[in-house]
Amino acid sequence: MRELERIFVRVNWLGLTTIALGFALWEVLLRAGFAQYQNLPAPSAIADGLVEITTSGQLLADTLHTLRAVLVGWAAALVLGVVMGLLLGASSTLRRYSLASIEILRPMPGIAFAPVALLLFGFSLQMELMVIILPALWPVLINTMGAVMGVHARLFEVGRTFRLSRSDILRKIMLPAALPGVLVGARLSMTLALVLAIVAEMVGNPAGLGYAVVREQQAMRPELVFAYVVVIGALGVVLNAMLTGAVAVFFPAASGRMREAG
Amino acid sequence: MNSARPGHPSGAASDLVFSCRDVSVDLPHQDGVRQILADISLELRRGEFLTVVGPSGTGKTTLLRVLGGLTAGTRGAVHVNGRLIAGPPADVVIVFQDYSHALLQWRTVARNVAFGLEGKLPRNEINERVRDALRLVRLDGHDDDYPWQLSGGMQQRVQIARALALRPSVLLMDEPFAALDAMTKAQLQDELHRLRDATGSSFVFVTHDIEEAVYLGDRVAVITGAPGRIERTVEVDLPKPRDQIVTRQMPKFLELRYLLHQAIGQSEHA
Repeated sequence: MRELERIFVRVNWLGLTTIALGFALWEVLLRAGFAQYQNLPAPSAIADGLVEITTSGQLLADTLHTLRAVLVGWAAALVLGVVMGLLLGASSTLRRYSLASIEILRPMPGIAFAPVALLLFGFSLQMELMVIILPALWPVLINTMGAVMGVHARLFEVGRTFRLSRSDILRKIMLPAALPGVLVGARLSMTLALVLAIVAEMVGNPAGLGYAVVREQQAMRPELVFAYVVVIGALGVVLNAMLTGAVAVFFPAASGRMREAG
Repeated sequence: MNSARPGHPSGAASDLVFSCRDVSVDLPHQDGVRQILADISLELRRGEFLTVVGPSGTGKTTLLRVLGGLTAGTRGAVHVNGRLIAGPPADVVIVFQDYSHALLQWRTVARNVAFGLEGKLPRNEINERVRDALRLVRLDGHDDDYPWQLSGGMQQRVQIARALALRPSVLLMDEPFAALDAMTKAQLQDELHRLRDATGSSFVFVTHDIEEAVYLGDRVAVITGAPGRIERTVEVDLPKPRDQIVTRQMPKFLELRYLLHQAIGQSEHA
């Protein structure tokens, strides 16, 4: 119960009121005929559209596809990014060899790889994953590397004076000390993964929420296009909230620092 | 624990925890190397409270790091329990000056104190030792606090408790009270003496505070110059237990204080 109360207090009621008023204004302007676009639906029409795709089961199928692509792609980027970030953070030799390549690859807009991915994998989930993983890797890698390099040298000496093995120093000192940085990277990467999944589905793999937007646009159903856009936005909010919540539960000490940083 | 070996007088080997012979330390510097310590010869007897006092920049911390196995001597030999030192020795723990960097900020107080014991003892024994150590430094009831929620003096006590939980035979302390207010400092000084009596551990305590060196020490080593050398060592034959008010007013205390001031001052002017 206290949890619920806390959430109730933390909800920004005034902010929500502003949003509701915005929708009301939109509805009124359209109905009164002040704004006339053939393909701009009123919020009430969008709500009807939401009900339609929900009851038909189309929405669930599309959402599950996108969710799967986002989570698999994000998890892969997370694992790769953390491993590479740890290695690069710990070894200056490795950094000397690879930082130049990283600085060249990192600013490349990942979506430019979409045609390449399409050539390699065709219209498939693999194509989508390639478009997600490459760009989503960098925030994790760079933040993890920075976090490891930022671990205070004194902590390693504490490990040595207590005669910890190398693996214990990694497990009990380096990893937890770097964790807040890793989590910041994980959060940035999650947001990025959703954006990339949608784009990959729009230009490549014909499945999921991204494709649904294009599909309904081509079917001249603007209220459904908007309904899907609303769902995509909500998915972003939910994913971010779930990640923040999971961090608060599993890493209470790190979550405060992550909120400060992220 | 009697590790007397052929070639060592057995009495000396069992009685000495540390023995340094002509130890010098050179450390890399912007232009080449800089000598930090020169020809240090020093011994630590079992159960002894040795204080090392000197101005800053004389290599006190480096000396402590050599004893703790974090820095290797460039020349000379350091023996611990009769053996040549190679890395951090068993049963020897360093308490660092900068407690905020030395504590694991993501762990609670109790889990910080348990840090050196994990995987070495069964869980219930660890809990018991953590409880004992926290009681010794008077931090019982703070088990579940995080270090950042505590004052500086309390954080330093957590670090001391973490070292004590290991029940080490030697504690190496690097100006542990330098950042603390006078009252907390006095309280912790007396706690250290209590701990020594309770545990029988030996201490090497580095400080730049001459009064602290006399008050705490069985013996004081004065280190001066750059590179640092042992200027002299002085036996402190003040009665025990020591008392913050009575001891500090004894003629003997004042005499020692004067002596050490002179030893440091002379080398400064020379």
